[in-house]
Amino acid sequence: MLDFVINLLIFFIITAVFVKATAVQVNRPTGFEQPNEDDSKSIQIQVLDNGEVWVDNRSIDVRAVRANVERMSAVHPDAGVLILANEMAPSGVVVEVVDQVHLGGIYNITFTTTN
Amino acid sequence: MQARRHSSEGEDHGIDLAPMLDFTINLLIFFIITTSFIKEPGITVFRPLAVTAEERPSGNLLVAIRENGDIWIDRRAVELREVRGIMERLHVERPDDSVVIIADRAARAGMVAKVMDEVRLGGIKDVAIAADTDAGG
Repeated sequence: MLDFVINLLIFFIITAVFVKATAVQVNRPTGFEQPNEDDSKSIQIQVLDNGEVWVDNRSIDVRAVRANVERMSAVHPDAGVLILANEMAPSGVVVEVVDQVHLGGIYNITFTTTN
Repeated sequence: MQARRHSSEGEDHGIDLAPMLDFTINLLIFFIITTSFIKEPGITVFRPLAVTAEERPSGNLLVAIRENGDIWIDRRAVELREVRGIMERLHVERPDDSVVIIADRAARAGMVAKVMDEVRLGGIKDVAIAADTDAGG
């Protein structure tokens, strides 16, 4: 019996997969609350199909998102962030933007796509 | 104690196996419990990096999106319209599960959004996008 148990143990150790899933949480707009274009309370960040990031009608570097978010959250402290990504935008850039917004201190992020 | 005293006197009775057996069976139970609950996508993708990514202990349903838009769940490629049905079935089996979408760095944001919506329609509200912390590489 001991041999059998140890065999089983070795089998499970070998087949065990240790998945450490690290992830970022984003919201999706529901059908009833479509993103409002003139909603001045939310900070809008646009991601274009070529990976450019636009805030306030200016093209900025991904690493500058943090500073912009900090500046705008100082004006509207309870504002959330709305990420408007083009459908063809690479998701890696979107996640980088989410990361920068987190570093800027905002965790209320809504992610939506545009054509 | 009896056996140990005997062996110290020179008789060959072997070591006491009971504590080792307890320990081994505990380990066995641990591995049985931890193995079977994670649905692996079955492919590797280049995850995006994010310093602020949080560990999700309950995130054990992994949906992978490849660079070309292919979706992999539980070691097989599925169509976008199948995702909802699969999520409904898995949600009934284990309601506590949450979904982590592993999107390739170059995968399209539109595809990620569509998959997130399908997962939500399937009844699982807890959806996150996977990202590696810098330390994890």
